[in-house]
Amino acid sequence: MNHAWRPLILIVGLAAVLLTVRMFLVPSDFMAKNGDYKYQWHRVGNEKFWRDEFTVKHKGREFCKQCHEDKIELVADSGHARVQCENCHVMFNPEKKGHPVDLKADFGYLLDIGIDRSRELCKRCHSKLPYRPKEFTSLTKGIKPFNMIDPQEHNPGEECVDCHDVHRTGFK
Amino acid sequence: MDLTRRKLLKMGMLSVCGTMIPLGALEIFKPEALASSLVHPYSQKKRWAFVVDTTKCVGCGMCVKTCKLENEIPFDAEVQRTWIERYVLTKKGDVLIDSPHGDRYGFTKNDPEGHDLKDEDTLKGFFVPKLCNHCEKPSCVQVCPVGATYKTDDGVVLVDRKWCIGCGYCITNCPYFARFFHPVFNTAEKCTFCYHRISKGLKSACVDACAFGVRKIGMLNDPDSEVFKIITTQRTAVLKPEFGNEPHVFYLGLDHIVR
Repeated sequence: MNHAWRPLILIVGLAAVLLTVRMFLVPSDFMAKNGDYKYQWHRVGNEKFWRDEFTVKHKGREFCKQCHEDKIELVADSGHARVQCENCHVMFNPEKKGHPVDLKADFGYLLDIGIDRSRELCKRCHSKLPYRPKEFTSLTKGIKPFNMIDPQEHNPGEECVDCHDVHRTGFK
Repeated sequence: MDLTRRKLLKMGMLSVCGTMIPLGALEIFKPEALASSLVHPYSQKKRWAFVVDTTKCVGCGMCVKTCKLENEIPFDAEVQRTWIERYVLTKKGDVLIDSPHGDRYGFTKNDPEGHDLKDEDTLKGFFVPKLCNHCEKPSCVQVCPVGATYKTDDGVVLVDRKWCIGCGYCITNCPYFARFFHPVFNTAEKCTFCYHRISKGLKSACVDACAFGVRKIGMLNDPDSEVFKIITTQRTAVLKPEFGNEPHVFYLGLDHIVR
């Protein structure tokens, strides 16, 4: 055997080992979908993860309606008709959470529900900024002026909910 | 053979003229090609698209909060799939751009970039919600060395968390800065248009959370979708068209100071 053949055999052998290992490591559904190596070269099974296996957490008004139909009707008739229950009642600071029914165990609801009475929550929409839109256009009833207050001047230190009924969008 | 000089020139000119007609010009003789422009003025391909109406945004950040909780991005981490930028033009001519904590706590004060700005000093200002543009030609997908990120048949760009090696090429290659590392999985992470929701007939979490009707999601070619109606009837713009990515988040009321 001459000196040129030996490395060649080595190279062919290595390539064979590499291809065999690759056959076991790369899943069968890893491919270029529609022949598109540029944008669709992927594990096709992963689409199922994002489509079906990832859980829906915000369930919307219909979920809350199972028990709180009265509140839903009240809000639907108010200026807050377009505001989801979950916008205000889903808590990111766990110290404020609390719901009389264990939603996670009984309903499979995964978020923390609670009541946030702080001014900070209302200020997100209602504190006065010169460049905030002056009109509120998403209500079916028509265009209304958007209520904004200067938090420095408008009863500082008080909680908004002491005077305002947020579900009815009126005074208590 | 009675081939005269006159005949030769005549036939020669005719064949030269014949070869000059482009093949495309013959399209008009195909009845199906003619009919297609009359019956289907738009393509039937399913393609998700997003519309952001910046004129309505108040910067409350409910979309950012909802997105983080829906998509399991740790709330206190300084990364987000969607965020809102505030652009303020002062009377001095300065452009102030900020997005504190991605606006997950909302804009409550007139303090762009930490300046305590008086109301009378602001010339104009507005909020621009941003998210992944789900480009038709996503430059982030092209650079992935392992095939961990891809575009689905309906145009949504996703990341395979199991396959991602965390090299970060896609993060640096996105012209919209829409990608980041997930703090828990340490893989590339991005907006999915809430693929788990839109595939079930729900709206994306941020669209649901917006009380002002700023955000809209729908099929680009579905004549019943609000997205189709807006794009076909109103003046929309996309961010950074010069990159050639063909982004599919369309903006209403976009100003030239937005980048």
